[in-house]
Amino acid sequence: MKGVLVFSVMTLRMLFRKRTPWGILIGVLLALFAIAQVPSFSVGNQGRFILDFGLFGIELGALVLALGLAANLFPQDREQRTVMPLVAVPLSRWQYLLGRFLGAAMVQASALLVSCAGLVVILLIRGIRVPGDILPATVLIVSEGWFLLATVFFFSFFTSPPLNWPLTTILFVLSQMSVRDFVGLAPSSPDLMRGLRLLLPHADVFHIKDPLAHGFDVAPQFFALAVFYGLCYTAFMLSLALAVFRGRDLK
Amino acid sequence: MTEGPPIVVEHLVRTFQVKAGLARVEAVKDVSFNLEPGEILGFLGHNGAGKTTTMKCVLGLLHPTSGRARVWGLPPGSAGARARLGYVPENPDYDQSFSSLELLRAFAGMRGLGGTEADWRKLLERVGLRGWETMRLKNYSKGMRQRLSLALALQSKPGLLVLDEPTGGLDPIARKEFRDIILEENARGASIFLSSHLLSEVESVCNRVIILNRGTVVRTGTLEELLGGEETHRVSYLEDRTAREVTVPSDALQNTIDMLRAKGFPVTGVERSWKSLEEVFLSATGARS
Repeated sequence: MKGVLVFSVMTLRMLFRKRTPWGILIGVLLALFAIAQVPSFSVGNQGRFILDFGLFGIELGALVLALGLAANLFPQDREQRTVMPLVAVPLSRWQYLLGRFLGAAMVQASALLVSCAGLVVILLIRGIRVPGDILPATVLIVSEGWFLLATVFFFSFFTSPPLNWPLTTILFVLSQMSVRDFVGLAPSSPDLMRGLRLLLPHADVFHIKDPLAHGFDVAPQFFALAVFYGLCYTAFMLSLALAVFRGRDLK
Repeated sequence: MTEGPPIVVEHLVRTFQVKAGLARVEAVKDVSFNLEPGEILGFLGHNGAGKTTTMKCVLGLLHPTSGRARVWGLPPGSAGARARLGYVPENPDYDQSFSSLELLRAFAGMRGLGGTEADWRKLLERVGLRGWETMRLKNYSKGMRQRLSLALALQSKPGLLVLDEPTGGLDPIARKEFRDIILEENARGASIFLSSHLLSEVESVCNRVIILNRGTVVRTGTLEELLGGEETHRVSYLEDRTAREVTVPSDALQNTIDMLRAKGFPVTGVERSWKSLEEVFLSATGARS
């Protein structure tokens, strides 16, 4: 496990030395700032609006960060042949995958937490009460972000980066859909669609922005279960990614 | 720990599909060989002969189509096999944003090796990277990356070194230093599997040579077996005042001299010569009949 940790720190340093995460973070912070500039009817409504759209912006940031950080990692390692000396000697394939994932996950989580801090600053500047659950809400988005990151890794082992972006985005959109909306995509075969929906991830468990925006309390058990669900799905996607990676030749 | 020869390759076959729908190309066809402990085994072949493909199967980077490879009796890519292995890839590359010292530190951490910064500096000095320890790899030339690659391979004092065209980007002095390091490592007890285009290099360091042609082993043996018993003589003579040479086997020397004299061609010199590895290689690969 020490090898994985060392490699994840190496990945973390490599990613921080690149411009990608900084560019995305600045983009998310600018979007949050822009949301705060939208005029509203009353102070109460403006608070709800900023929270609702701010958290949605951070969630989109999680998707863009996952793609920006990881879609190119393995293809670039393969193209530049940097993966070979790593996988031939110091690391096994699962250590390589987990190390790269953990490094990218740490960068993504840091960027999302900075975005959350940015949202809090905007709320404070606007004189809007900051809900206590904003940090747990961001942790849930981080959990969703890690699932998306694992999905990007999975696709990266058998598709090119330009194909990875639409595939992951489609999965992200599908994972937001309710069973009813999903069945509506193919009303002629509802059972098949229901079954398919069961297999696909349910990203709605990560969303507490609506109750948060409307001032409702969220039970701590819900947070714990949602984070657990996110971690389980992340582990599942990483297992799939490893199965694909193990079968790959490194020419 | 399971112990076996450093490398065993048995009936290895590897095919590739060049393009979807097209027939498969056999890059390696039924290749079998062993690398014995303490041996330096040279792997020769022209471009596309299947050298790198075989090496990658030994390292677990490629999956064989059939047949198998074992490293110290273990499956390629397994933790036990990797633990006693050092690898210098052809055209090595590493993350450009790191320095060689950072990379050595990280690789040591990944492999669970003990060692201090002083050890890594000493190792970099040994491969000729003194003064470049903290410089980022983006400033390195191809030859410097090769030196770094050798340092990373030597870091764990491995029992087996797999070197794929290790001196391709090096100047003659660096090649000599590289060869010296290979011999030092062999003297330490490391077995070495060396693929190279440079026949002189293979001739000067290897105990045994395998010649690969279009994915098949065409010649194998010790250098003595491949080069010995093939003593020849180069006979120089004048034909119509023009200097000419003819190379003949030892047993045909007297007949040749007699024949030249009979034709009235004065013999100006006779030199003893041995068949070079280049001649053996060209003859084995069909480049010279």
